[in-house]
Amino acid sequence: MTAPRPSKLFDGYLDPDRPHADAYDEMFTRDEGVRSAYRALHESIAPSEVADLNARSEALGRAFVDQGITFSLSGQERPFPLDLIPRILTASEWAKLERGIVQRVRAMEMFLADIYGDAQIVRDGVLPRRLITSCEHFHREAAGINPPNGVRIHVSGVDLVRDVDGVFRVLEDNLRCPSGVSYVMENRRTMARVFPDLFARHRVRAVGDYAVHLLRALRNAAAPNAADPNVVVLTPGVANSAYFEHSLLARQMGVELVEGRDLFCRDNLVYLRTTEGERQVDVIYRRIDDDFLDPVHLRADSVLGVAGLLNAARAGNVVIANAMGNGVADDKLVYTYMPEIVQYYLGEKPLLPNVDTFRCWLPDERAYVLDHLEELVVKPVEGSGGYGIVFGPYATTRELNSLRKRIRTNPRGWIAQPVVQLSTVPTKIGDRLVPRHVDLRPFAVNDGNFIFVLPGGLTRVALPEGSLVVNSSQGGGSKDTWVLAPRSSTVERELAEPGLAGAEGLAAIAAEQGPELSTAQQQQQQQQQLSQRTEEV
Amino acid sequence: MSWRVRVVHTTGYRYEAPVTQSYNEARLTPRGDRRQNVVVSRVETTPATRAYRYTDYWGTEVTSFDLHAPHLELKVVASSVVETGEENEPNRSGSWPDLKSEALLDRYTEFLDWTPYVPKDKELAAVARELRKGVSPADAVLAACHWVHQQLKYQPGTTGVHSSATDAWRAREGVCQDFAHLTLVLLRAMGIPSRYVSGYLHTKPDGAVRETVRGESHAWIEAWTGGWWGYDPTNAIPVGPRHIWVALGRDYGDVAPLKGTYSGGAASALDVTVEVTRLA
Repeated sequence: MTAPRPSKLFDGYLDPDRPHADAYDEMFTRDEGVRSAYRALHESIAPSEVADLNARSEALGRAFVDQGITFSLSGQERPFPLDLIPRILTASEWAKLERGIVQRVRAMEMFLADIYGDAQIVRDGVLPRRLITSCEHFHREAAGINPPNGVRIHVSGVDLVRDVDGVFRVLEDNLRCPSGVSYVMENRRTMARVFPDLFARHRVRAVGDYAVHLLRALRNAAAPNAADPNVVVLTPGVANSAYFEHSLLARQMGVELVEGRDLFCRDNLVYLRTTEGERQVDVIYRRIDDDFLDPVHLRADSVLGVAGLLNAARAGNVVIANAMGNGVADDKLVYTYMPEIVQYYLGEKPLLPNVDTFRCWLPDERAYVLDHLEELVVKPVEGSGGYGIVFGPYATTRELNSLRKRIRTNPRGWIAQPVVQLSTVPTKIGDRLVPRHVDLRPFAVNDGNFIFVLPGGLTRVALPEGSLVVNSSQGGGSKDTWVLAPRSSTVERELAEPGLAGAEGLAAIAAEQGPELSTAQQQQQQQQQLSQRTEEV
Repeated sequence: MSWRVRVVHTTGYRYEAPVTQSYNEARLTPRGDRRQNVVVSRVETTPATRAYRYTDYWGTEVTSFDLHAPHLELKVVASSVVETGEENEPNRSGSWPDLKSEALLDRYTEFLDWTPYVPKDKELAAVARELRKGVSPADAVLAACHWVHQQLKYQPGTTGVHSSATDAWRAREGVCQDFAHLTLVLLRAMGIPSRYVSGYLHTKPDGAVRETVRGESHAWIEAWTGGWWGYDPTNAIPVGPRHIWVALGRDYGDVAPLKGTYSGGAASALDVTVEVTRLA
């Protein structure tokens, strides 16, 4: 363990009086040692001058405004704040996460296929039927729609947090239209421009090829008879806060970006109106909500969707990605049954634990929640973006009383969790680097044969001191997330084996240095990892 | 005694201005079960369309079709020949404690929940409490059906397809749809799983063979009191050979016979005719 060099930037970083002092810091151990993932970064950053960091920080902000990357905060467009200091995960930490995410996605694919089919899990008494039928996003219209390659969760985002012991836990799943992957790619591009020196000292796994994986998954989803499937991205339009992402993905995949009015159905086939006439569409990567997809079955007043789309999918002529009705698997109450679901379908224990959760719809747990409101975080089962969440410790008595009433009238609508002290990562606030709480949303793409997890994901950071709410809609920022490449070559591993004097230190440096890998190399590595994994099994 | 019945149901829309881009779903195909056998059934449209058939979540046969050529009228004709069964006897094997069992509550949760058409209502809950006092679940179902039959006057025109059970109850009038919904409110308040049935009724109790009568689109209920059985609250009669069932659901919303979207002028419904002929 290298002793930290004195640095003004980190002055008073581990102040014992800071809020949530128990939280796990990802750079420093409790005795102020630097964790191995961050060692090279710390060495590069610690000696720098404040002015140098400020200059780079300005360059980052400028790059974002220039590219027009904004998000809407309560209706106002703003640049999405990207913090200077990346969040780093070692190869082994990542390998564990990756396995956990893949397992979760596999289980949820089977769960959705079952729920919209025979509901065997309910018949076997593992889950109550009420749990499913009371989900707001359980769409009976989706029953009997069987996608050609069986995939319903083409893209998922699993929100992870790290507890006081540094253990990653799943906070929630996003299986409908998870967004944010454009920030992952843009953050990396911008960071690479502003910090070329840091990338030269680390082997960071690439994220730029996300669109390649997405396109492969979407093309694989088409019916086998479509020899050269026509894929489109369906967006609600420019007014949507994630429009930037929709257009970026369409551009990178080289497919059309369309709105509902560009498409129409005839005799259960979906066509795109083009200047050269009609063109049949095989796969729709849709970024509009279920309720707006098809005015024939769902909201009749929807102008964003395509009339007849659902029956076209039912007839097997078009694939909707992600599938309609996925919301039943990312319902926050269904989430609490995830261990049972993983056990039922895969016969395995979940590799990634949930955050402990109290279910207000069970009388015992509701009684506990009502008695301990001031210690718990209470969340509505529906809703995202951090809206409607009540932090018991900070709520006024009046807020708690009104919450109590709302829980009593609609117990199905609420869950409660202990306050998770999210892990912290150094974040530049003013002229200093201070601990701020972060979460992580990795993105997984399922192409039917292989579930690809984009190395890294979106790290969101709560910028106000002590805040545990990281949502961009609640004033959060983001960080570039680095997954370090593993020591993949056998030569390096042989060199690192004990017996060679001083080899250990050398290997460690080698692992964290070297240029960014090319896509081909990355894929090779993944394959190697994969084969390693099958060997382990 | 069972009947063999032919039903020809004609429905559709007339438009003020030519309509294009019309997408529709028809739920007009009778289903087979232990007491009903579907001999033949088809759904035809004018203008002609390529129909697509599927079975929905509730087990109903759905015919979906779309029309793109401009048209001023859309006519849908569903014809079928069905063998209907004996009169439905109340199932008396279930007791009140049976209905309270956790397994049953969970299994039939969808037929115990409130819906927009079948809303929770304090006044009606009080009525339900009175009706179930001292009788078995099966008799409570009969009592609820008879109560609704007495309270509501059969009067087309006051309520529409969007009226809920409480709307009809306030007006003290309605059609078969309202009779069924109001009965469902009472049954679900009692904790008896119950569902909405849509279908047709041959209007003559002793219909002569080969005589075609002007029938009607009809609705009644089924309740679970140890097993499912039907009763017709509109006429206060058991469901028998004159009843031809088409679809089941929580309420009318799950079984609407014809629904869709289109772009074009305002629509008015065509005259709905149901011709029912007893064949044997």
